[in-house]
Formats: sequence, C-alpha cells, structure tokens
Amino acid sequence: MLKLSGINAAYKDLQVLWDVSIQVDEGELVALVGSNGAGKTTTLRVISGLLKPASGSISFQDHSLGKESAHRIVELGISQVPEGGKIFTGMSVLENLELGAFVARARKDKDQTLKWVYEIFPRLEERKNQRAGTLSGGERQMLAIGRALMSKPKLLLLDEPSFGLAPILVEQIFEMITEINRQGVTVLLVEQNVRAALELAHRAYVIENGRIVGQGTGEDLLSFESVRRAYLG
Amino acid sequence: MGRKQVIFIALLIAILVLLPVVVKKDNIINLALLVLLYICLASSWNILGGYTGQTNLGHAAFFGLGALSTRFLWMSGWSLLPSVLAGGLLAVAFALLIGIPAFRLRGVYFAIGTLALAQILYITVGNVFSDISSLRPQDLATYQLVPRYYFFLVLALLITGTTYLLVNSKLGLGMMAVREEEEAAESLGVSALKHKLLALSISAFFAGLSGGAFAYYHVGYYPRFPFSPEWTFDSMMMVYIGGAGTIIGPIIGALFFVVVRELLALKLVELHLIVFGILFILVVLFLPGGFVEAWKKMQAAFARRSKERGVKVSFQTTDD
Repeated sequence: MLKLSGINAAYKDLQVLWDVSIQVDEGELVALVGSNGAGKTTTLRVISGLLKPASGSISFQDHSLGKESAHRIVELGISQVPEGGKIFTGMSVLENLELGAFVARARKDKDQTLKWVYEIFPRLEERKNQRAGTLSGGERQMLAIGRALMSKPKLLLLDEPSFGLAPILVEQIFEMITEINRQGVTVLLVEQNVRAALELAHRAYVIENGRIVGQGTGEDLLSFESVRRAYLG
Repeated sequence: MGRKQVIFIALLIAILVLLPVVVKKDNIINLALLVLLYICLASSWNILGGYTGQTNLGHAAFFGLGALSTRFLWMSGWSLLPSVLAGGLLAVAFALLIGIPAFRLRGVYFAIGTLALAQILYITVGNVFSDISSLRPQDLATYQLVPRYYFFLVLALLITGTTYLLVNSKLGLGMMAVREEEEAAESLGVSALKHKLLALSISAFFAGLSGGAFAYYHVGYYPRFPFSPEWTFDSMMMVYIGGAGTIIGPIIGALFFVVVRELLALKLVELHLIVFGILFILVVLFLPGGFVEAWKKMQAAFARRSKERGVKVSFQTTDD
C-alpha cells in the first residue's frame, strides 16, 4: 500500500534520513519506533508531503507521492495526526472535526463519518460545542485522531499519540487505535513508547540516527537483545 | 444567529438608515460617515488579519489605489459605480502582486512586503500627483453629504454581510484553520496559499471600494493622502481594540476610535495619538481578544455569580 525506498531527506544542510525504506501493507498496523531525534517525525513529514525528500521514491497505491502537495496527498487517502495533536484551539470541537473533512472526497460523506467518529470517541460528541482549547490532554489527542479520521483515510499516520499523556490514558488511546485499525484503516504509528508500540503493532521498524536498523514482528523485536537493551531497559 | 440578534441588527440598520432624515445637522452626519468609513476599512483588514492571521501593514495602499483610480475615472467622465468597481479591482491586482511571492515564504515577509508597497506608493503618488485633487465645479455646486453617507452605509453593510457569510462557509473555516495552525491545516488538505490569497483579494477589494467611496466623498485632498500609513495603523488598532477575528469587533473598534478621537481632538488635538498608542499596547498585553473578549468574560463571570447566588437562595428557602 505504502512504500518508501531509499529516502534521503534533509532540513537545509542537515541530513536527517539516510536511505530509509519502509513498507506498509493494506490493513496492517505498523510501528516505527526509535528514540528522540532518530528521524521518526521526519519520516512522517516526508510521507504526508510536508517535507520533500532529496532523493528516493514514495508510492501509495500506485501513485508516486514524491512531487505531490500536502493537500493532494490527503485527497489520495493519507491523513496525519501531528505530534502533540496540533488541534485548532480557538475553534470549537465540531469545527475542528469539520475541518478534517475538508477535502472533496471526504466532504460528501461528512455527516456519516462524523457519526462514526462519535461512536469511537463519545467524549467528543459531549464536548462538540466547546472550544478545543478547553479540552484535557487526552481529549485533545482524541480530537486530533478524530479530525484525521474525518478525512476518511485509507492510511492513518500517527505521530507520538502517547506524548504527554498519563499511562492510563495512553492505554486507552492505544486501544482506540487498535479498534480503528480493526475497522479497516491501515495505521503507521510512530512512537517513543517502544514497548507499548511493539505490543500493539503487527510489524515494526526500528530507526536510529536516521537509518532503519531493524525490522520484524512486534514480538520478534521485543525479544531482540539490542532492542531490549536500548529501549526497554 | 439567534432571534434577539436578528432584531438587534435590524434595529441598528433602521437607525442608521433613518439617521440623516431625523438628524439634519451636517456635522453629525459627517461623524457617522467617518464611523462607517472606518468600519469598512477595519472590517476589510479583519478578513485577512483577524480571520486568516496574516498581518497586512499596507492596507492604505489598497485604500489609496481605490481612491486614486476612482477619482481619475469618475472625473474623466465615467459614472460613479464602474469607477469605484475598477478601483477595487486595481487594489486586488496590486495585492496579488505582493501576495503571490510573499505568501510562498513563511514569516514576516508578507508584513514587510505590504508595508514596503504602501510606502513606495505613498511617495510615488506624492511625487507624480503633487497638486491637490478637487471636485469639479459642477460637482461642488451640487455637493450633498447625504448620498455619500448612504454610499458608505451600503458599503459597510456589504463588507460586514460578506464577512458573515464568509466565516460561516467552508472557505472561512479553512482561513481560520490557516490562522490557528498552518501546518495542521495543510495536513488536512487546506491549501494555505490558496486561502491566504483569497482572503487577501477579498480584503484588498473591499479596501479599494472604500477608497473609491472616499474619492466620491472628499471635496479636496492631496492624492497621496489616502496612501498615508495612518489609514493602515488606525484600522489595525480598531480591529485589535474591538476584537480581531470577530464580526462585531471592528465595528465597535471603529465607533470607539472615531468618537474618542473627536472628543480628544477638542481638548488635546494631536495628543489622541498617544492615548490610542497606549490603549493599543494595553489591549495587546492584557486583553488579546479586545472589547469583545472582555464582554464575554464579564458575561461569563456574571452568569457564574448569579448561579452561585441562585444556589444560595435555594438553600435559604429549604431552611425556611
């Protein structure tokens, strides 16, 4: 479904990604794990078109994404939940969700998708007229995910959804992610919370200093000596 | 909109329509006209500055271009409305000239670009058209203030009405998303460039029309006068004092500004600049939402208090 091959990417002169190759198949829940600054977010930015790679190719369902603009990529069916959610704090919860269905493809089914999102996150319906800035951390993350779902993505990119949340909330959010995946949305999850992510994912990649250094099923990676030592303590 | 609001707005419009009929004093009508002129300028600035989050420091350029071309076309024999419309379109052309390159870059480039455009035009127009521009003798002989007043009233209603429709549309939703979190907006499929350019065009178009109305209204002025930076900064101040990114904010700001300026001008002449400067700083520091936010906060506090009191009362009755 999604395939990155030999991606090199840089911010100005600083190269961040080195020959990164990743593949995500339809229906999978794949995790990309690694420590802070390893290049996880950059990988997502390259996929969603917010950063253009210096070389390498990205394809999504037979479309080449290398030159597509960010909003065109959303139109194709890839939606990103940015790190920290980046919700529109000055607008209402409902307006945030409506913005999720901004592209033409999602717009016509907006009401139906909204119902589906409210089923997954009932809390959002309770708070729909509230200003998003007044939500708690967990609710913000739900809103960010809900907003991304409003675009009816085929592939959902999640950047550090556990960021800044209490362990109990992390567990809840991860359960919801599993549920979303079970309902047919392919998920690429980026996480620093390595253990939780590996327990959740079908497959995972480990990224270090901008290079992919390991891959396998979640269980495999959990038992790898190097992974255990580096991330699980 | 609630029913109360609709009635209030209808009432307000009725008062404004009837004002010249009831009050026959030219100085009052003129003051009301100035309020309307500033509502036009502030509300048009608000579309880009308040709702889309892009700081335009050259609004006077669009106002001036509208005035310049309207005055030229109208006095050379065009009828009024096409002249004003042409002024609006010319303003849009210049706006895109600066907006297309500047919005491709993030950060302060747009603010600097618009400021530079306005200053260049201010100086150039001053050099090229150095003579005062007066209405023709036949216009002066038949000059009436009331039609000018209505012209501004219609324009103010048009701008406010358009803003209302805009912010409740998909386009307006996109504009606000760009203001709040540009990257998140992009990642949802909102093209930031497209929305900024559209907001800029609408904003500049209305500023150009306002300039046209000014050219219709003003008897004699130096052509560079409508290009002077105070038009930009006054509008901006009104928007922030009233409440940026709200419909009523620029209206309250304009009313407050003109009335207070007139009152101060009687006693302190140019000192009103210092008063407004200080007020502006205070608002930015302590009341980022302007008067509109202050009002909302007051209402909320009041509602809380009466709720608490309500609870107390019910306790007392049970005691009895």
